[in-house]
Amino acid sequence: MQHIAERYTGASVRRSEDPRILTGSGRYVDDVRLPGMLHAAFVRSPVAHARITRIDVRAAAEAPGVTLVLTGEELERSLVPGPGIAAMFSGGAPVPAFTTLASDKVRVVGDPVVLVVAESRYLAEDACELVEVDYEELPAVMTSQAAQDPASPAIFEDLASNVLVRSPVAVFGDVDGAFARADRIVRADLRQHRHQNAPMECRGVVCSFDPESGELTVHSATQGVHIVRTTLSTALGLPPEKVRVLAGDIGGSFGLKLGAYREDVACAAASRRLGRPVRWMEDRLENLTFSGQAREESFEVEAAVTNEGEILGLRVKMTIDTGAYPGMGAMLPELVKTMIPGPYKIGALSFEWTAVVTNKAAYVAYRGPWASETWVRERMIDLIAMELGMEPLEVRLRNVATRETPPLRMVTGRSLAGVTARESLEAVAAKVDLPAFRRLQAGARGHGRYLGLGVATYIEPAPGPLEGRGGGGIMGPEQVRLRLEEDGTVTLFTSQMPHGQSHQTTFAQVAADEFGVPIEQVRVVVGDSDLVPMGFGTGGSRAAIMAGGASLHGARALKARVEEIASHLFEAGAEDVELSGGSVAVRGVPASAMSLAELARAARSPGRLPPSLAGDVEVTAAFDGGEGGWSGGSHAAVVEVDVETGQVRVERYVVAEDCGTLINPAIVEGQVRGGIAQGIGAVLLERSAYDEETGQYLSSTFMDYVLATACEIPRIEIEHLETVPLDADVNFRGVGEGGMIIAPPTLCNAIEDALSPFGVRVFEQHLPPARILELIGAIPAG
Amino acid sequence: MTSFDVELTVNGLARRATVEARRTLADFLREDLGLTGTHLGCEHGVCGACTVLVDGEPARSCLMLAVQARGADVRTVEGLAAGGKMNRLQEAMWDSHGFQCGFCTPGFLMQITALLADIPEPSEAEIREALSGNICRCTGYESIVNGVLRAAGATGFLE
Repeated sequence: MQHIAERYTGASVRRSEDPRILTGSGRYVDDVRLPGMLHAAFVRSPVAHARITRIDVRAAAEAPGVTLVLTGEELERSLVPGPGIAAMFSGGAPVPAFTTLASDKVRVVGDPVVLVVAESRYLAEDACELVEVDYEELPAVMTSQAAQDPASPAIFEDLASNVLVRSPVAVFGDVDGAFARADRIVRADLRQHRHQNAPMECRGVVCSFDPESGELTVHSATQGVHIVRTTLSTALGLPPEKVRVLAGDIGGSFGLKLGAYREDVACAAASRRLGRPVRWMEDRLENLTFSGQAREESFEVEAAVTNEGEILGLRVKMTIDTGAYPGMGAMLPELVKTMIPGPYKIGALSFEWTAVVTNKAAYVAYRGPWASETWVRERMIDLIAMELGMEPLEVRLRNVATRETPPLRMVTGRSLAGVTARESLEAVAAKVDLPAFRRLQAGARGHGRYLGLGVATYIEPAPGPLEGRGGGGIMGPEQVRLRLEEDGTVTLFTSQMPHGQSHQTTFAQVAADEFGVPIEQVRVVVGDSDLVPMGFGTGGSRAAIMAGGASLHGARALKARVEEIASHLFEAGAEDVELSGGSVAVRGVPASAMSLAELARAARSPGRLPPSLAGDVEVTAAFDGGEGGWSGGSHAAVVEVDVETGQVRVERYVVAEDCGTLINPAIVEGQVRGGIAQGIGAVLLERSAYDEETGQYLSSTFMDYVLATACEIPRIEIEHLETVPLDADVNFRGVGEGGMIIAPPTLCNAIEDALSPFGVRVFEQHLPPARILELIGAIPAG
Repeated sequence: MTSFDVELTVNGLARRATVEARRTLADFLREDLGLTGTHLGCEHGVCGACTVLVDGEPARSCLMLAVQARGADVRTVEGLAAGGKMNRLQEAMWDSHGFQCGFCTPGFLMQITALLADIPEPSEAEIREALSGNICRCTGYESIVNGVLRAAGATGFLE
């Protein structure tokens, strides 16, 4: 697979990350060792909802090796009160008051109550066992329904109730007219279960406060160093320039590791108090119980359709369970609202939503956080097809937007320029040979075998059209800085914080092509808030197009700067100077060639250049994603359901995806496959389960929160489409989230299709064997 | 807490230490020997990230105590490359874009090393079965399976 390419862009270049990762010499946060480093552990709530009536830490404070025990009340005295990162992702919803460590009450199993710092993690955990906390239990509020009962006990006293937001009804197009004209109304109540990010590396932090300088250095497992810096400097009342956040290799995240968490704040405060480094590494019990969960949403949907399968309009009511503490839940429904028409000509939409607070782990971002819009829409389309007795693919093709000039728009307003949903639907249909599959399916049923085919399509803002994108400031353009070093290499600094996405390879590919040097001469620096430009970090499908585009424009600007410097040094016109093959020369005079190393040294030598060019050969470039555009694609799955055991086997999985120009096809395909694996896991295996009476968390190990292994995930066939270019230079699109967005509806559609002889309708996303057996009536519904 | 003297071989080097009875092999390798290539993903024996070879057999170093490795020959991910040169499996994984975030990687590499010692040319089904105790959250496994096939000298699996 080693391509010898004229350009790196478009080739499956081997990753520059791999030599360290494959030899055990990567550096993850758990590998950081600082002199005098102490270890933190947390006493956490064993109950879902209670008042704290007494905390006794005396025995713990006396325990061997213990250097500090902090309660919430004591910790709070060293912090600046405020909502912290909660406000950033609240979407304008009320942000309730709470302390960094729970002090008056606990609101979820695993809520941190006391911090213990000791000479080793073993000793810190020993001391945790000596902390006594008395709880006066309150009824646990464990469902959206319960949260909307005015009699439910308020989880946050400063909120009027457990209903966080009840939105007005948003109306797009002529909804009443659409429903009046409809031949039929198809109704469904759809529900998504609670998922979990579950990166293989848990959260972690090492905080090191230097009492001499007053500076806090933080080693963090994070998707973005600047948000961590902002949240910690705000919480600790430190000037931002006194906080430096470093990140090394990150063992996955999928949305979880955004900003400083409550534990991080506590460790930073402890380090400041002790003047020694304090390290906390989350364990898997803490991670599964408390770190964050996602996707628990329910929908009441009505679709106005014609007998020919045209979808005239949708009425949608959404309810989201945001969990106990503010995460990202309350900001998502507006995204779901905007995105729910997808790549379809759905002419009318009404949308209203309710966000509630419950005694569950906080709702966090998880790979395609708004993905329920796709699941709901694509599920509805199959239900509509079933109602009309049509092939689901036909309903999709009848409604999907075509490419027109000017481009069609979603009824919610956003342009569908460049969307290739129709093309990708046709591609997967051809690949699975739909008529042949239907014959095979009919034949198999004769032998008691239940095969099903599911198709679904989606678009993903990656980052979406410029118009209507919103998000200035830290969510605005992506910046990179490039510097020609004295050894002739180029260093590219980016605020992107890769955690598996291979940006150190892909940005180097783009920059090396544009600057015209071998890829080995471009080094991509990430994860140091003192060095990398201000930016959000990795998330929101920003990397490929925005940071990739900034890398391209930055490399171009660096090349222009080098040529300008060379023209001064050569006393030649800039147009007569040429950079190629790692050196600059006067065009047509090879003997004049000067290496890039020589040029960089000359530029830094006092007096060689005019002040405007002297010094570091460095440029900064920013790119806002231009016209941006959508990633997207269609997936098709063939499953076989064993109606004796309820097991679903994915026999075949076909993808036609469009992320524009591929930077590195192997990396793109890795992102697509990884997302699909999470989607398959979500439908067949994974569920964050709670006891609805007690609020106890039931999925706190990997034997209970079950992740897919190599035995459940099939080979995945991928075809790449190329979007119509929207920009003269930059047509890369983000591709990280799509697989996880589209695999769940693809699979649910396939399973429903397989079980159609049983009259099964699928209204939920989690379909483990026991549920399959319930749906076909083999066992009673529990 | 009772402590024990432990002598063992790690990546070919004789090591000696005094450890508490409760010290896991993983913590011993990572904290006492500084071999942080072995990763802890769940600490309850499910994810496989901490897999090392103990006398040639894969073992979960999070579930094994350091004292249980007395006299054993332990091999970790740091012991795969020789003289600064990646071995055939590592090269094959690099060529196959086997991994993404790299956190599960040490466990997979050690599990695969054991597999290839047992079955030099495994089928895809044998590979998937052998890797069913190792979780990767990033890749969907296909690239890892391809890497094993490539390391084993198979050629037909690539387009």
